[in-house]
Amino acid sequence: MDFTTFVKPSNGDGGGDGDGQNGQKLQFWKHVEYIENHGKQEDDYEYCMTEFLRMSGIYWGTTALDIMGQLDRLDRKYIVEFVKRCQCPTTGGFAPCEGHDAHLLYTLSAIQILCTYQALEEIDCEAVVRFVVGLQQPDGSFFGDKWGEVDTRFSFCAVATLTLLGRMDQTIDVEKAVKFVLSCGNQTDGGFGSKPGAESHAGLIYCCVGFFSLTQRLHLLDVDKLGWWLCERQLPSGGLNGRPEKLPDVCYSWWVLASLTIMGRLHWISSEKLQQFILSCQDAETGGFSDRTGNMPDIFHTLFGIGGLSLLGHSGLKAINPTLCMPQYIIDRLGIKPQRLARP
Amino acid sequence: MHGRVKVRTTEEERERKKKEQALKVRAYRAAMGRIQKKREAGELDSEMLTLTVQILQRNPDVSTLWNIRRECVLEKLSKLKEEVEDEEEKPAQEEPVGDKPPVKEDKAHSIFTCELDLTEQCLMVNPKSYSAWHHRCWTLEQDPRADWQRELQLCNKYLKYDERNFHTWDYRRYVTAKAAVPAAQELDFCTEKIKVNFSNYSSWHHRSLLLPELYPNEQRDRPMSEEKLQQELEMVLTAAFTDPNDSSAWFYQRWLLGSGAQLDRAPRVAAFRLESQGAVLALDRPYPDLKQLKTELTGGEQKVELQSWLPVDSSGTSWKCQQSLDYQRNTIYSLKLCDQEVNLSPLPGPEDGAFYFAPPHAAASCSKELLAELQTQLQSCLDLLEFEPDSKWTLLTSALLMRAIEVSANHEKSLAHLAKLEKVDALREGYYKDLAARWTLEYELAKWPQAAGFPRNFTLAEDVLLASLPYGQYFVIADELNLSIKLREQLGDSVPITFADLKVKGDF
Repeated sequence: MDFTTFVKPSNGDGGGDGDGQNGQKLQFWKHVEYIENHGKQEDDYEYCMTEFLRMSGIYWGTTALDIMGQLDRLDRKYIVEFVKRCQCPTTGGFAPCEGHDAHLLYTLSAIQILCTYQALEEIDCEAVVRFVVGLQQPDGSFFGDKWGEVDTRFSFCAVATLTLLGRMDQTIDVEKAVKFVLSCGNQTDGGFGSKPGAESHAGLIYCCVGFFSLTQRLHLLDVDKLGWWLCERQLPSGGLNGRPEKLPDVCYSWWVLASLTIMGRLHWISSEKLQQFILSCQDAETGGFSDRTGNMPDIFHTLFGIGGLSLLGHSGLKAINPTLCMPQYIIDRLGIKPQRLARP
Repeated sequence: MHGRVKVRTTEEERERKKKEQALKVRAYRAAMGRIQKKREAGELDSEMLTLTVQILQRNPDVSTLWNIRRECVLEKLSKLKEEVEDEEEKPAQEEPVGDKPPVKEDKAHSIFTCELDLTEQCLMVNPKSYSAWHHRCWTLEQDPRADWQRELQLCNKYLKYDERNFHTWDYRRYVTAKAAVPAAQELDFCTEKIKVNFSNYSSWHHRSLLLPELYPNEQRDRPMSEEKLQQELEMVLTAAFTDPNDSSAWFYQRWLLGSGAQLDRAPRVAAFRLESQGAVLALDRPYPDLKQLKTELTGGEQKVELQSWLPVDSSGTSWKCQQSLDYQRNTIYSLKLCDQEVNLSPLPGPEDGAFYFAPPHAAASCSKELLAELQTQLQSCLDLLEFEPDSKWTLLTSALLMRAIEVSANHEKSLAHLAKLEKVDALREGYYKDLAARWTLEYELAKWPQAAGFPRNFTLAEDVLLASLPYGQYFVIADELNLSIKLREQLGDSVPITFADLKVKGDF
């Protein structure tokens, strides 16, 4: 790519013109550098110890860079080849990296990466569909892999994967899948947990709200009850937590923010304060975002920091789709329309 | 990676740590390499178990290693089975005397114990490891001699370390089901937990699952029986007052005051209007495709199924049906939607037609005792507000209590609380504004049937300020909405569609 089109401002914090007046500005180029370098040091301890989720790590990095308009800084060919090598020839699912087993979590990440790079035709998509369909259980729930763990995260992964592949029709039993996710809903707060009876949790709520958005069934939510519980996640710092009486966190900020956006209730929290919180979690030295102000940054929170800022309309960032956590232009290119509710 | 504080270190320390980490990386890679080789060769043996332990003890999230251990366990079990079958095939040389210990079962049990011990160690390292918890469940599912009581003790122990760990609570629900622990006993456990610490949303949640089961509400308009509800209200307010800034109990309180409605309940008829050229129907909650629900119109001897419903707007709450209906004056009509049947009233005015209207969200009825409890609670909240006028949760809860006691008489007062909340809890200003709009519309819609011109005209006084116009579908039966110019401007495209609008468009 032509790097001269990106003129680095002399103070090194481009992209943030006029935003975050009361606090920090977005350290745009620092983050680009952070993500670009992530994974270049293969012998790095953290990098090595997190290989069991490598596929998701690549999805976090590519998506964050794409939102920042800097995707070309990564080696497309190298990444696509890596993803291809991770498809399990027996099951059709994707492993997080070579030598590990296929799982729904990494299958979704792999498909997200391939959609970003328009490389779906390079893999056996039918095998992926078979993998996902084969994991649905008689009660509508999904196993993460053949070993039988059930979780609403996997319900989301299943429908998100099939949606991205354009194969939601006549594959899984959608009605049963919906019924299962509904059975994980809680009367007390309108939220959702990982399985029937489990306590509501912002991360799982995102999965379930996203699931209903993809299956076009947002009418099943108790928007007023759930929206209230979600907006109560915002703390005086502006950051959002994942459950009552917990600490704020950049990733929970994304789960809550995205859910509220899908439900047309973004105006129930203070966007300005949330933006300040997210920007306070940047590491001004190394780039990258951490979970909370002053902590160590990582690639996971970097995506959700950038993604959150994009949802809040920060300038210099591409729009992100709240349901699939991918750049909106990719979702448009695929012709996918996840459901969203209008503001009342 | 969560909660790792960035600390400044000296160059020396950094170097030392780097060396240490390089060694760890080398050891990890060597072990992983060896494991993968052995797996390819099908060597699911004791060495494999030892190798995986080394990594899992440090990093229990490497789920593939748990998969490999499960393969090892299954392999060992099938070998055991073969051994036993071989034994049985041998000619019986002597009959077993007395109670011969079941060697096979003991051996199998020791295999399971080994897995359980490992998960226990791993959960000490990372109590939130999905993989470790799942491996524990998997192991117990394989073991016919699983000791569920022991697992229950383990839950108690882990909940002492962290009473909010949702993995432990999930596991507890799984174990209590397996061990058939009576719900009443679990409720006692919950009460104890809450007594130790009121600020425990997880305990309140667990409680909210048990109570509707133990004390069901016959009318299903409240989460549990009135008697129990009263006791719970008392308990939760004590908790909330212990620390009025802690949200856990207040959430529970709001749930107690709510209707206990199910998420997947069928929509009900909110409003309906019928004329010769067709009909409109408003639902109390959205439904994506009304055609899937059976709507049947009965008038005298005539029974007509209303079909070909089309959405009036994108929300899925109001629908039109352009079916010409032979409307008969002086006939009593009724409409059936799913299990609900409502009687229609003749439309006042010159044109023929009939209608139905039920305002949203009628509060559930209260027994004398419950009412007295609500009043006591309200008084306590108001007393507290004397001392702490900005106490957010007290402001909100007292407004909710007022509405539970008598909605319309307390309308202005409850709105005043919301106006105050917009200031003291400014982060959620938008929420309180929308809530005020909802309460206002509920109030106005409840008054509508008494208004002149009902149901053809609806008038909202100029001084009623609204941030949004919820319940817009209810106006589909009207002809004219008298809204202030300001409100119309504010609503823009989202001014509700009326029957007259549809007529103008030529729908009817």
